[in-house]
Amino acid sequence: MIAAGCDVGSLTTKAVILNNTRIIGHSIIRSSFDPGKSASEVMDKTLHASGLTMGDIGFCVGTGYGRDRIPFVGKTVSEITCHARGARWLLPSVRTIIDVGGQDCKAIRLDAQGNIAKFITNDKCASGTGRFLEVMAKLLGLELEDLGKLSSQSRNPITLAATCTAWSQAEVIVHLHTNTPKADLAAGINDAMAARVAILARSVGCEKDVCMTGGVAKNIGVLEAMERHLDMPIRRLRVDPQIIGALGAAVFAREKMTLS
Amino acid sequence: MIEQMKEAAHVLENQFVRKWREDGGKVVGYSCTFMPEEIIHAAGLLPFRLRGIGTTTLSIGDAYFGPVICSFPKCMLQLAGQGIYNFLDGAIITNGCDSMRRLEECWRKASEDYPGTLPGYYEFFSVPHKAVDYSIAFYEEELRDIIGTLETHFRVTVTDEALRKSIRLYNEGRTLLQKLDSLRFSEKVPLTGGDAMAILIAGHALPREQFNSMLTRIIGDLERAPSQSEKKKRLMLIGSASDDIDFIRVIEDAGAIIVADTVCFGSRIHSYQVDGEGEPVHALSSHYLNHSICPRMLGYYKSRLAHIMETARKAKIDGVILQNVRFCDLHGSENGVLERDIESAGIPCMRLEREYGPLVETGRIRMRIDAFMERIS
Amino acid sequence: MKRETREYNYDWMIWSIFNAGAKALDGTQKEYESLMNVIPSFRTLLHTVLRHGKPGVLFLKMLLEYLDELMSAKREGKKLCLGTFVTAKHIFYAFDNVVPIWAEPMTVFGTLALRKATAEYMDYCCEVGFTETSCSAQRGSLGAYLAGLADMPDFMICGAPGICDTNANAIQFMSSYLDIPLFQLNFPAKLTEGRVMDYHRKDLRAMISFIEEHAGTRINEGKLRDLLEEQRRQDELASELYDFMRLTPCPVPPIFQLFHYGGRLTMPGRKSYTALLKSMLEVARKNAAAGVAGTASGKERARLLMCYIDHYTTDGRFWEWLDTREISLLPTLIFNFWHEGANYAAGKASETYHIDTSNMDTMLDSLADLNSRMPMVKQLRGPYDAPHMWLDDLLGMSKLMKPDFLVYIGSMGCRNSWGINKLLQRDCEREGLPTMLLFADAFDDRVASWESIMDKLNEFMRVRRISA
Repeated sequence: MIAAGCDVGSLTTKAVILNNTRIIGHSIIRSSFDPGKSASEVMDKTLHASGLTMGDIGFCVGTGYGRDRIPFVGKTVSEITCHARGARWLLPSVRTIIDVGGQDCKAIRLDAQGNIAKFITNDKCASGTGRFLEVMAKLLGLELEDLGKLSSQSRNPITLAATCTAWSQAEVIVHLHTNTPKADLAAGINDAMAARVAILARSVGCEKDVCMTGGVAKNIGVLEAMERHLDMPIRRLRVDPQIIGALGAAVFAREKMTLS
Repeated sequence: MIEQMKEAAHVLENQFVRKWREDGGKVVGYSCTFMPEEIIHAAGLLPFRLRGIGTTTLSIGDAYFGPVICSFPKCMLQLAGQGIYNFLDGAIITNGCDSMRRLEECWRKASEDYPGTLPGYYEFFSVPHKAVDYSIAFYEEELRDIIGTLETHFRVTVTDEALRKSIRLYNEGRTLLQKLDSLRFSEKVPLTGGDAMAILIAGHALPREQFNSMLTRIIGDLERAPSQSEKKKRLMLIGSASDDIDFIRVIEDAGAIIVADTVCFGSRIHSYQVDGEGEPVHALSSHYLNHSICPRMLGYYKSRLAHIMETARKAKIDGVILQNVRFCDLHGSENGVLERDIESAGIPCMRLEREYGPLVETGRIRMRIDAFMERIS
Repeated sequence: MKRETREYNYDWMIWSIFNAGAKALDGTQKEYESLMNVIPSFRTLLHTVLRHGKPGVLFLKMLLEYLDELMSAKREGKKLCLGTFVTAKHIFYAFDNVVPIWAEPMTVFGTLALRKATAEYMDYCCEVGFTETSCSAQRGSLGAYLAGLADMPDFMICGAPGICDTNANAIQFMSSYLDIPLFQLNFPAKLTEGRVMDYHRKDLRAMISFIEEHAGTRINEGKLRDLLEEQRRQDELASELYDFMRLTPCPVPPIFQLFHYGGRLTMPGRKSYTALLKSMLEVARKNAAAGVAGTASGKERARLLMCYIDHYTTDGRFWEWLDTREISLLPTLIFNFWHEGANYAAGKASETYHIDTSNMDTMLDSLADLNSRMPMVKQLRGPYDAPHMWLDDLLGMSKLMKPDFLVYIGSMGCRNSWGINKLLQRDCEREGLPTMLLFADAFDDRVASWESIMDKLNEFMRVRRISA
């Protein structure tokens, strides 16, 4: 039984193919202006890598901002529900999911049965999203991936005014002018990011187990800072955290096939 | 008939206002529910509630207001600066909230740079934040002052008889709106939340005599109309100023129907009748202070919660959307406590902070509404 | 909120820091030095305050007296009342068993003394549903109360309705959230009309009835008289201090503004505040006689008038910066209390309050008048350019004190001032007063750090050739 999920996000588009309970393929591409095109492209790429064709897919569920524009899906589900489903599928004990994507951030709490009990998203502001880290990495002349690793080398992390991305840039520039080590800046940036997101997580009533999904979860600096802020361990997922939404969609697709 | 109401909800200077003006009538805008429309009406003027719809830029709004201000009065200022409100002969700005009360100065000062955009009659009007005997007496005196300014500027006399007549007329409207509420609460809801909202908004945008007669006919039609609520989740909308039908549409497109609300512009102010027997200005003062469910009335949370729970019970709702315009701390914070208390009564809630004005955030709002619908399904 | 933040009550932490700080100079130099090691986050501020000698010591001891009363209230079976800074405190001190807590001073104590200021407490407010866009002046300490990390108030007073929504709303939120009885004092948009004064007086009497009901005692007439008599003496001392501030160079050190209004907001009518004012006057007199400014170097390169409030982030670096830049700080605008005889009130008698202690009624009327002229309550109740309001006060004070520039700082939650401060700036510039708006938060470093604020201030001064 082969099922697929496709997540068209604002910055990246993801696809996951499931064969029963095994992930047999997944891909991530940069989103274009046309969600339908992005979806087709990522799906083709994933199918190709898995040696499959569209005809092999029994059912496909779409999610993400562009979900209504995906031509090949049988059903759409919101990304909040998909992230929750994907995370729980990987980690049945999960109760809190923190998803930090490119343009937004969500915190979701599940009840014991795995139903969404409460969720919250950040409100129209880049701080506390992947965009914030992107802007900051660019400012420091770093690759996004290095921002996380650099954190661990910091001795004296800066305290960053981080309620607003635009204003944070000004702060970082002040520090760059005073030759603050980049590691300290990176650690400060990751910590500021984690602090913003931790407010959301605590607003839904953060409970163990906690996991992080979305591209930002790959940043070890943010992950560790988040553990400090929440005073809770964050369970690492065994697959790329960026594909959890698409995975959740694939799980829904599989359930749909099972039911019918 | 309902189409005319929708037109009034979508266009500021609607056909009824144009007709009123062509017949030589004067129009007085007001900024919030604490200004008794009866008084403007009794002066022979058309009360028109100020709104910010149709704004496409905030170039003027942002030039006077600071950055951390609610976008609702900013949009109003934008429209005023563009001359869209030039059809007004007067405007009364109240201290409904701090963002709104600063509209008074911003509009006045902007008109120095955009000449001709300030109505000839322009007043700031402060309303107490509590309902006790001495605040009602104080507000009564303030209302008398505002009547005096209307009389002087527009060269009219506002008699007690005229006030009583206006109170009767507006009470009739309240009775009709209560009927509309009960239709929305019923098992088979004959109109969408969007249409209901259009009617409620039109109530503040066209002459009350015409509104009442149109609403009477609409209610007659609705009593025979088919259900619009089949297989839909019944939601209640709570929170700050909301006069954007498109926002309601985004919610209803997700498979919901809004069957009750307490939003400003919505079913907030018609649950009680004004006393038609007593001294009219006192009756208005007492009514407007005692029967408001706006969180600007400080310290009345429990009675507001009770009103919401009673409405929720009558309307048999499946969930609540607690929305507020960003920087509206009054509603935003109250929504926080309401969420806790309504959820503990077993009703799922979702909080939503948004910008007022063009629906630039449709994607984000939709994502959350969809997830909420999935949660309560 | 991190686990370690929950270890100790917020009020206790503030008390223990100030307890150590206020006694710092009681011992030997060696003891002072070793004390500095145990209060690393507080020592810069302590140094900033204590290097002013007696006034600095008296300021800390006065605050400690306030905090001592707060911390012993429950033990002594007294009632705690939480309110906002805009309410006159004499009313509460006139009760035998009521101790007032003031949200904003409690925030500022944390902002000044704690390593990460009140950030976690502010964030906690958001976590329980309070809006992030609300004013940080209340959120700082309210977070501690919402988290149960303080001795809880028995009842609350909301003194800002009609003046500041976000302030009033913070108190309303806490009252709804924790189900604590609340009374609101409400202010109309005008100040001097008979109808308005009558409203203030009725409202104040209703508040006293509310306190009496919840405290279970009556207001003590003798105590109230003593407090008001003492207030009159304090007003006379303040008048003298204001006269000194007119001099060029200004002989009053910048941080004395904080001492002046900090005392007026926490301990009005109390002997410790009188002692503080007297010691500040001694310094001002001495400097004036020597013809030197109150800055550390004795020089005055520029005169600054803050057109709203000061900046309160960690360590009190704002006042220290003024001192090192040789900038005199003139009376911060909203912290003028409008007592009879104040130099800024010349020709504006109707805007002042008069203290009459003849009987209970005259005292309550005096209190109502005093209370309706408290910071913000006086200036922000009506349109900013209406008579007796913000612009009037600012231009009047500028004419009197002759500042070289004006600076606005507030909080991100301040709808009232952010609603019109661009208009205010424009009007002031038209009057020839260089005026700067700081996009920053006086209580929250995370909006803009002190370093970046300093940058902006320096740049403004450079561009506008102030103290060139």
